[in-house]
Amino acid sequence: MSQDVERDEQIVAAVLAGAEARFAELVERYQGRLVNYLFRLVRDLEEAHDLAQEVFVKVYYALDRFDPSYRFSTWMFRVAQNAAIDQIRRRRLKLVSMSRSEDGSDEAHDWEFASDEPGPYGDLRNQERGTAIQEAIDNLPWEYRELIVLRHYGELSYEDIAQLKTMPLGTVKNKLFRARQMLKERLADFLTD
Amino acid sequence: MTTHPQDPTQLAEWLDLDVEDALGPAERKSLVAALAADPQLAAERQRLVELRALLASGKVPVEPTFSLRVMAELPAAGWEARHPRYWAVAMAVAALLATASAVLLGIGSARLGPSLPFGAAAAAVLDLFVAGASAGAGLLGASWRGVGLMVGNLLQTSPAHLLVAAFGVGCLNLLVLQLLRRRSPVVAPHGARR
Repeated sequence: MSQDVERDEQIVAAVLAGAEARFAELVERYQGRLVNYLFRLVRDLEEAHDLAQEVFVKVYYALDRFDPSYRFSTWMFRVAQNAAIDQIRRRRLKLVSMSRSEDGSDEAHDWEFASDEPGPYGDLRNQERGTAIQEAIDNLPWEYRELIVLRHYGELSYEDIAQLKTMPLGTVKNKLFRARQMLKERLADFLTD
Repeated sequence: MTTHPQDPTQLAEWLDLDVEDALGPAERKSLVAALAADPQLAAERQRLVELRALLASGKVPVEPTFSLRVMAELPAAGWEARHPRYWAVAMAVAALLATASAVLLGIGSARLGPSLPFGAAAAAVLDLFVAGASAGAGLLGASWRGVGLMVGNLLQTSPAHLLVAAFGVGCLNLLVLQLLRRRSPVVAPHGARR
């Protein structure tokens, strides 16, 4: 992972020095993680691709403002997170309402996800599993859902997530642990007894 | 922070971190010992491994031509223009034109007046530009003074005009304030609200 971090910065430096075509290396490196992260938030594969493209364009446009003291992946996912939030608000999707955060604070969100989309999971068995996974994730409290999606689909490290969410590392670990415990219960049918 | 390794909650958290490859070496050593002693713990670890694989199985494919699509849509970013490659040619052409102008000016001044020094000819051209800029500034200043005089005359004509003007200025101020307040809030990442 540290080698990849170093190479991200090297590629950014090369792009800024004139080798713009090398930006394609960053696109290919992060496209899977970004599309999957965005898909889990907007629930539409085509829209996830469009948003991912928008994110890469924004990142390219602001590349000279990238601070190398941060990880490129953290910076890019921050842009992606904002883009997804903007898109959800623009579209005013009908989503499943999110429960209040676990500490009972009043930060209840009114974002909801469309629940009638056929997933891009292929055959029926995969469809069933894919739908179950999506529903289990959707039913998590929002702050847990975000962390699960960042970890398992954005493939960010705990440290990157802590930096992105400006959250202590211990809190990230604790919340992900709780989130996975919830997912384990909800997806018990797909796990060994 | 050291916790008794037999604490179930602590063990569960260690299991979770271990599956995610995020457990420290000291804790892992304690966990391995606990796993060896407790088959249920090992089964729990297996479920977490399966959960991880299950979540990974839900990943969706990316369009094969996505990177080409992105590269084709990249805009001209402002920082690109700072690269010498983009302005070197323009600078070279500008330098060439400046040199050609200087040469022509020198030749012209020699033909028109052999005794006229090149420097005096260049100074005359410079004076021309300065005069043009001054005339432009003077015209601009004169036009603003003219507007000011006209408004002043209008306001002095009648107190009603003054009141109307004051009302108009007040409305403009309110409009500006309202526009500033109506500005959309910056969408902050969720974590930034903490």
